[in-house]
Amino acid sequence: MNVILLRFGELYLKGHNRNIFENTLIKNIKIMLEGERFKFEKTFGRYVVCNYDEKRENIIINKLKKVFGLYSLSPAKEVDATMESIMQEINNIDCKNKSFKVFVKRADKTFPIPSMDLSKKLGEFILTKNEGSSVDLYSPQCEIHVDIRMNKKAYIFDKIIKCQRGLPLGSSGKGLLLLSGGIDSPVAGYLIAKRGMEIEALHFHSYPYTSELAREKVVKLANLLSEYVGQIKLHIVSFTKVQEEIHKNCKAEFMITIMRRIMMRVAERICDKYNLGAIITGESLGQVASQTMQSMTVTGSVVKEKPIFRPCIAMDKEDIMKISNEINTYQTSILPYEDCCTVFLPKNPVIKPTIPQAMREEEKLDIEKLVLECVDNEEVMIIGKETN
Amino acid sequence: MIYLDNAATTKMFEKGVDIYKKYACQFFFNPSAGYSQAIDVRHDIDKTRQKIKDTLNAEKGNVIFTSGATESNNLAILGSKRNGKWEYVFSSGEHPSVYNVARYLENQGFIVHYVKLTENGQIDYEDLKNVVNEKTRLISIMHVSNETGAINDLSLINNIRQKYCPKALLHIDGVQAFCKIPVNVDELNIDFYTLSAHKFHGPKGVGALYARDVSCLKNIVYGGGQEEGYRSGTENVGGIMAMGYAIDNIDITKNYQYVEKLKKCMENELETVKGVNIIKTESPYILSVSFSGVNGETLMRSLQDKGVLVGIGSACSTKKAGNRVLENMGINQDKIKSHIRISFSEELSLDEIKNAGKNIIETYQYLLEKVK
Repeated sequence: MNVILLRFGELYLKGHNRNIFENTLIKNIKIMLEGERFKFEKTFGRYVVCNYDEKRENIIINKLKKVFGLYSLSPAKEVDATMESIMQEINNIDCKNKSFKVFVKRADKTFPIPSMDLSKKLGEFILTKNEGSSVDLYSPQCEIHVDIRMNKKAYIFDKIIKCQRGLPLGSSGKGLLLLSGGIDSPVAGYLIAKRGMEIEALHFHSYPYTSELAREKVVKLANLLSEYVGQIKLHIVSFTKVQEEIHKNCKAEFMITIMRRIMMRVAERICDKYNLGAIITGESLGQVASQTMQSMTVTGSVVKEKPIFRPCIAMDKEDIMKISNEINTYQTSILPYEDCCTVFLPKNPVIKPTIPQAMREEEKLDIEKLVLECVDNEEVMIIGKETN
Repeated sequence: MIYLDNAATTKMFEKGVDIYKKYACQFFFNPSAGYSQAIDVRHDIDKTRQKIKDTLNAEKGNVIFTSGATESNNLAILGSKRNGKWEYVFSSGEHPSVYNVARYLENQGFIVHYVKLTENGQIDYEDLKNVVNEKTRLISIMHVSNETGAINDLSLINNIRQKYCPKALLHIDGVQAFCKIPVNVDELNIDFYTLSAHKFHGPKGVGALYARDVSCLKNIVYGGGQEEGYRSGTENVGGIMAMGYAIDNIDITKNYQYVEKLKKCMENELETVKGVNIIKTESPYILSVSFSGVNGETLMRSLQDKGVLVGIGSACSTKKAGNRVLENMGINQDKIKSHIRISFSEELSLDEIKNAGKNIIETYQYLLEKVK
């Protein structure tokens, strides 16, 4: 029978809480495989997906590869733990003209042949059955694993597929991701979700100064992200009036600083409204004028009771792009729709603003009213499939 | 809704849809098949062929049905390509479906000349004289500019060709002209003429290439040899028949005179406003105009909210890419950014134009107030 063996990663580091983490992970696995026929077994220290439609094995593996908290998996054959059945299965493995190594694990010590002896025996068998094959204990081309478990079953596999690792989604609370439409913010969302945090997303648009296509792009990014992080509640807020007011009343070079301070305020309010515990941004130190240490100090200072997580803070653009490609958001991120209105952008934005300077500019605005209007007029979309 | 983006596409004639349906459900036979029902269909699409030739005033020559203008342009240019040290002449105001083929030829090692544009959007005829020579294989110039509505003087172009490079082929992209502006391909010695059905109330996905002498053409797609081998693939019969219906039901002269009034009316509305700059061009179907201080795209979207749909031509929304055609006319970046394209159809009323004009002015002034 075909089965998929699952291995958990960091969960082993957990002490008394391990059960909570494990149950969350198992729940997430089941949600990810929703719509598939399968059985999940947790026996003798092994986690096994079985009884699935074998034609869909690759699809199921690809889905499992997106579950945070899984360390690796192996598609395997499950046979009775007898020499005869094991040999029969080993016979199906093709090692012709390749070097190989046999790994035997014997959790069931009642199995009559010790691990080392079994390895040798199976190695000999493979050598006789596969022309041109050779044993290489250091860098074999084929790795053949035989895992004999307490349930009197043996699992035979030759592939170990790396998974996402990290912590199960939902084990680290829920936060609000500022999703711009660029390359960095989806990556930030992915990285924080990999640490177990569920996310909702907040997008600001400046229609009619920005296009509807820019908004569609963000919806698409949220959709791509939801393949990893499950359903996303996307909050869409019109920022047009705020920008018009700043443009009318404040010094041009402070446009971005004030804009971002108001965005942060809106984000914190939305966190309060929906009981979210953190704000996540895609900022990367020094990438642009608004992402200098001073700028982040000034924009971050308006958030009073929530941590701001910036998973990309120390990453190079190239590293961010690499992840963006891996999670398939890159091609959408680079679509040429402006995510922030360029009509109001100053030629020389202030690079090292200070909090008092920003506060002086803000005195010219009715900040509370603008923030409230943003929050009250938000539009909420549910994106991706149900996770809970 | 007031639709002022008819250069992008037009609404199909409703009866054309009925015709399409008739050939999709009742006379659905493959025109290449051998039984009489199929032969009838073949004769029917041949009638559309004849209608196109009549409209172009072509006594001889072939009409090859294609999937639309992009394919027709590619077929004319690449299909007439010959090995050797040939040179090509294009205007620098061509649509991407010609311009990017020109770029391709350049990459293939051919010498390609791009004729300059004047500030009124037409080609610079003096420059054309300078770049053509006995090695010129093909001259490809659009009849009416999709960006500005400028009409190139085909008779002047033909004269230059006859005088300086009589052997060169002449291809005219007539997408914005066919069924709108009269043309006589015989008199003008035009070798290829491109048209696209959806620009004149026909369906999308169908067009044609007129070729005066197909012997200078080779197919660019390979297959079953339909369209006498020049364009393989089963003909889009419904589309071709609906295109034929559209041709039958358009009165070029009457429409021209009427649409001229619409354009004049819109110009009168807009001209009075400070900051509005109209590019004066010949085609009554297209009005190219800039609104100083306001982004054209922003204006387009704000107008959309008021039910007025205008175009921004092929202006790209990226910060880097501007508008190649307007740039080549020597228009400055500020005007290009604030540019929109208003394009008309005979289905619009004068009241609608006045109403849209007022809306455009109001929206422009509102936005100007916000961004100044």
